[in-house]
Amino acid sequence: MRSTINAASVALAVTIAAIATTAEAADTIKIGMVAPATGPGAESGRYQTQGAKLAAEEVNEAGGVLGKQIELVIEDDQTTNPGVVLAFSKLAGDSDFVAFLGPIRSTQVHAMAPDALKLGKPVMIGGTDPALTHMDNPWFFRFRPNDTYSARVIADYGVNTLGKKKWAIVHSTDAFGTAGKNYLVEALKKLGIEPALVQGYPNNSQDFTPVALAVKQSGADVMGTYMTFEPDQGIFAKQLRQLGVNITWVGSPTTTTATALKLAGPALYGSYAVADFNKDSNPVAKDFDAKYQAAYKASPDLFASWAYDAVHVLALAINNAKSTDPQKIREAILAVKGYQGAEGIYNFDQNGDGLHGYNIVKNNEGTIVYDKHIDFND
Amino acid sequence: MTAGQATAAASTRTSAGKHPLGGVTYLAIAVVAVGFAHFTPLPAYWLNLLMQASTYAIAVLGLTIVLGYGGQINLAQAAFFGLGAYSVALGTTTFALPFFPSLVVGIGLAALAGAILGLTSLRLGGHYLAMVTISFQTIMALVLTNWVSLTRGPDGVTGIKRPVLFHNYFAPSAHYLAVSIAILFIVGYFVWHLRKTKLGRAMQAVRDNELAAGVVGVNTYRVKVVAFTLSALLGGIGGGLFAGGFAYISPDQFTFNESVVFLTMVLLGGSRSPAGTVLGTGLLILLPEWLRFLKTIYLAVYGCAVILIMVFMPAGIWGFATALWRKLNPVRPIRPGAIPPLPLTEETGRADGSTILEVTGLAKYFGGLKAVDGVGLAVKRNAVHALIGPNGSGKTTMLNVLSGIYRPTKGVVILEGLDITNLAPHERAGHGMGRTFQNIRLFGAMTVLDNVMVGAERPNHRVAGKTAGLEHHALAALDFVGLVDRAHLQVASLSYGHQRLVEIARALAGTPKLLLLDEPGAGLNHVEKAELVSLLKRLKGHGLTIFIIDHDMNLVEQVAEHITVLNFGRCIADGSPSDVLRDPEVVAAYLGEVRANAAT
Amino acid sequence: MGFALQLLFTGIGVGSIYALVALGFVLIYRTTNVVNFAQGDFAMLGAFGMVVLAIDLGLPYWLSIVITLAALVLFGALFNFCVYYPLRNRSFLPVIISTIGASIFLENGVLAAYGPHPQSLPGMFASQGFNIGEVFFDSQYLLILAVTIAMVALQYLFFERTLLGKKMQATSQDKEMASLLGIPVASMIVLTFVYSAVLGGLAGVLVAPILFVSVGMGSSIALKAFAASIIGGFGNVTGAIVGGLSLGVVETFGAAYLSVPYKDAFAFLVLFVFLLFRPQGIFGEKIAEKA
Repeated sequence: MRSTINAASVALAVTIAAIATTAEAADTIKIGMVAPATGPGAESGRYQTQGAKLAAEEVNEAGGVLGKQIELVIEDDQTTNPGVVLAFSKLAGDSDFVAFLGPIRSTQVHAMAPDALKLGKPVMIGGTDPALTHMDNPWFFRFRPNDTYSARVIADYGVNTLGKKKWAIVHSTDAFGTAGKNYLVEALKKLGIEPALVQGYPNNSQDFTPVALAVKQSGADVMGTYMTFEPDQGIFAKQLRQLGVNITWVGSPTTTTATALKLAGPALYGSYAVADFNKDSNPVAKDFDAKYQAAYKASPDLFASWAYDAVHVLALAINNAKSTDPQKIREAILAVKGYQGAEGIYNFDQNGDGLHGYNIVKNNEGTIVYDKHIDFND
Repeated sequence: MTAGQATAAASTRTSAGKHPLGGVTYLAIAVVAVGFAHFTPLPAYWLNLLMQASTYAIAVLGLTIVLGYGGQINLAQAAFFGLGAYSVALGTTTFALPFFPSLVVGIGLAALAGAILGLTSLRLGGHYLAMVTISFQTIMALVLTNWVSLTRGPDGVTGIKRPVLFHNYFAPSAHYLAVSIAILFIVGYFVWHLRKTKLGRAMQAVRDNELAAGVVGVNTYRVKVVAFTLSALLGGIGGGLFAGGFAYISPDQFTFNESVVFLTMVLLGGSRSPAGTVLGTGLLILLPEWLRFLKTIYLAVYGCAVILIMVFMPAGIWGFATALWRKLNPVRPIRPGAIPPLPLTEETGRADGSTILEVTGLAKYFGGLKAVDGVGLAVKRNAVHALIGPNGSGKTTMLNVLSGIYRPTKGVVILEGLDITNLAPHERAGHGMGRTFQNIRLFGAMTVLDNVMVGAERPNHRVAGKTAGLEHHALAALDFVGLVDRAHLQVASLSYGHQRLVEIARALAGTPKLLLLDEPGAGLNHVEKAELVSLLKRLKGHGLTIFIIDHDMNLVEQVAEHITVLNFGRCIADGSPSDVLRDPEVVAAYLGEVRANAAT
Repeated sequence: MGFALQLLFTGIGVGSIYALVALGFVLIYRTTNVVNFAQGDFAMLGAFGMVVLAIDLGLPYWLSIVITLAALVLFGALFNFCVYYPLRNRSFLPVIISTIGASIFLENGVLAAYGPHPQSLPGMFASQGFNIGEVFFDSQYLLILAVTIAMVALQYLFFERTLLGKKMQATSQDKEMASLLGIPVASMIVLTFVYSAVLGGLAGVLVAPILFVSVGMGSSIALKAFAASIIGGFGNVTGAIVGGLSLGVVETFGAAYLSVPYKDAFAFLVLFVFLLFRPQGIFGEKIAEKA
């Protein structure tokens, strides 16, 4: 009985939706975005939404795309795998959508990949798992440098710029941390270095004494980290200093967020980090930072910047392609070269990766200072 | 079949609520649902939603069995779901096996894990068992994340394949969904049917009163292990189908939080019925979709809702609805006398003075307290033997030792030549020992008939006609105590006196040789006590041996042929009522109450 | 040697957090036979209370602590009336689930109200700690240890030496009998929840400077604290302390010498083993049911 009622209501809903969409004149270019509004990723989801909206407004003020205004439609993915599948398929069901912005969490991108492949429309993603652009899916376009680059930049900076050769790697055991660790080990190997310590830890560890002691005992003079959550970052930093370990630190982007700075305080002074977004790294970034602050009374971060860039590049591509045909948009995106975005200069390769390097920033007594940008053009 | 048996069978069919039409309706709905999923061109969103709902529902049906029927809390269902999912995922990718063999492996692994978890329930219940399941869940989640070489770690497994049978028939999501729904209906039927089987009744007995269940003949430990195994098995099926449906899984989907989600799904709809479970699962998957507008406060509302459900609708939405339905549509009672009587004892009236129960040197010490200290007695066949003594004299302890609830510190108990001193309670029931309790221990949520059926289903009960025969036995026992017209009422709705009678009927339904009655008169008024006395006399007339504890000397005098008196755990008198009740030590122990009572 | 000593100190420090939270469990369990899955969230509320009062409103630290604990008194009573009282006559299962619901509600309510950013809270002392040889003694951990010991002593004095304490004990041992003796059982239960809430809140206030303040901070501690109290002997104050401290030490040494990623598994493995072979824990009484 329940399933029969369900069936009837589904049929009804589908019919109404069909009527509604055909009745509506397509006078906007619809772009769909899945972002977490609930669940652990809710905060970053807010930044993502705000960044995308800012870009959409700018595009519309400049005349829109193909003479029409962009309409950004956002669905909550609840920060879960089934959630992102449902959110994406909900949007995908409406044929008016021209392209999409996908999640920033790589596991979620993986979850929706089969549906994206089936749909055959461009999806801009923020997830950094390199596999995402190497799995025979022509519809993913990445707007953050993938993890091979963060690792190579960390290794390059530590070894070549700072001249440190004895490495300790500390990483979270989740997807982000483990992948990062793997690429860092590989990048160091290419530079002829075997790390003195590779130490994983589970998220929300509460105590990092064993890890800090391991780092101390390894005798390393530089530490590369891939840490996911700021409280872990803060506790670790404090305990490291308490145990008298004054090691050079080159960390993943979490090391530079406002929250990380607030929690760790002096314990993070003097540390370096790779950061795909930094407001001082280029003029567009500076401009974006100012506009974002004016609109939302807060500083933007990488969660906002990639979405901002994605919407702008997408608009550019559609205009260049002079069409909303998916294949043409795809070709236009891949043809984007030398585009200065907030995250850096986009040169799309055949896999759909737009960025190939990272900024290095330094924590100067609590202020994040831009140091340099390292790109790999191989 | 004689006319009498035919009548019995006919009324049985109606009374058990079996509608032959029900099965056909269910099948029709199943066919419609499967056909709908298969042939209707649903948008991807709905396909995904229904796929999640159907696979989750299968897993949550596992909780219906272990929690709803068995009353055991299981906070590891996501781990079992994960075992099924990972088996299919790794099976079809790393090991390049076909889908169905991988699924079977997954189901097997999950069932094995469930059995192991069930085995830990030997000495535990309640929060302890909950903690065991949480520990298992936590460890499993950690293993899935960290055993990277096998599980691919936190990245998860991509490219999970669907079955390739019949030329990739299952590749399109609509077909796969149809199969998932079909399996859901099959599993749902099985779970629904389970409730009315011997195993299902045994589970519910364990849920409602584990101690009584054991005494009445249920192997409670085995039942719990089976419940956990079945629950895990269903979790594995759900997980395996989920993996094939979504093509990608990662370990963060199989954590403790997900187990809590499963638990709330089974509670929302109603843990005691599969329909409720499916309802709850569907609601909780659709609700987030409908409540998207609530955004950040959605989960807070969710948490609040859980509390409200527990307080106001503990039987869940479906339970609430069915209770309402039952109020408006009460079940038709059976006419008294419509059931042909059955022999209630294995042999009739062999009052030959032989001993049926022999107790020698029995002692039970609780640390320094000697509750029973060297008691011996012999209960003669077809006699009514009473055990009396002042409060704290050790009577109930004695009975508990005889039932097998306590292990004696010293001594031997022999029932018809068999040494039962170390047998578990359910084994003793299997040898024909029946018992009632001082504080009535019925299975509150079950019907009167089901309660008595559990008694009839005790081990080694040789009865012709299997389940129908046992049901006949149960009805005959109810008829004997005069309650057959209330067979389909929930036992908790009966008056105290009637509940007492149901307890006796439950013991009788197992055709006992020896009936132990612990203060059967407690809480009864004058009239009820008189009825009880006549019932006891009728039982004796049927050849039953009765061993009774009671305080009411009036009652004891009326029925007992032999009395043993305890005081401070020791036997101070043993013999005929006239001798014992005049014994000065006995009188002294009661401070003269006996004489006064005897006068009235 | 310094290595092991450092681990020992940290292990005891972490363990004393578990012990302090476990004390809260023990009390509610003894009186109402309920395991409160929201116990960790009392700690979370205490920590957030401090953030709102001491950081956002800039009130003096000590005053903030007093106000926070006072607020938790009210909260404990409220919790009793909403979550426990309506279910007091039912079996343990609906109550456990109700407390799980309460936990979800509290965590997400605070999340909605305050936002997901973790917050920091300064410690009680200006200095972070001091060194003796190679070993660093974190001052906040020392404070927690001291407070835990003090609470145990205070609790002992209260329960064994005051009339009110004895009445609460009586209620926990036999509600019916206590009520027959004229003890207002319902009030005793309210008091139990209030005391546990304050104890939980105090744990939160003390722990916040170390672990930072986030909505999930309570649950992760609570689960382990619960495991610790079972290992020590459920329903037993000594058990809670010993269980908590041992668990902290086992976890820390296990992380250092065996595997950091599997750190959380050790706690549960130990628990598993105890539940199989000695469910009454180290100090507990044998579990039996009256027929």
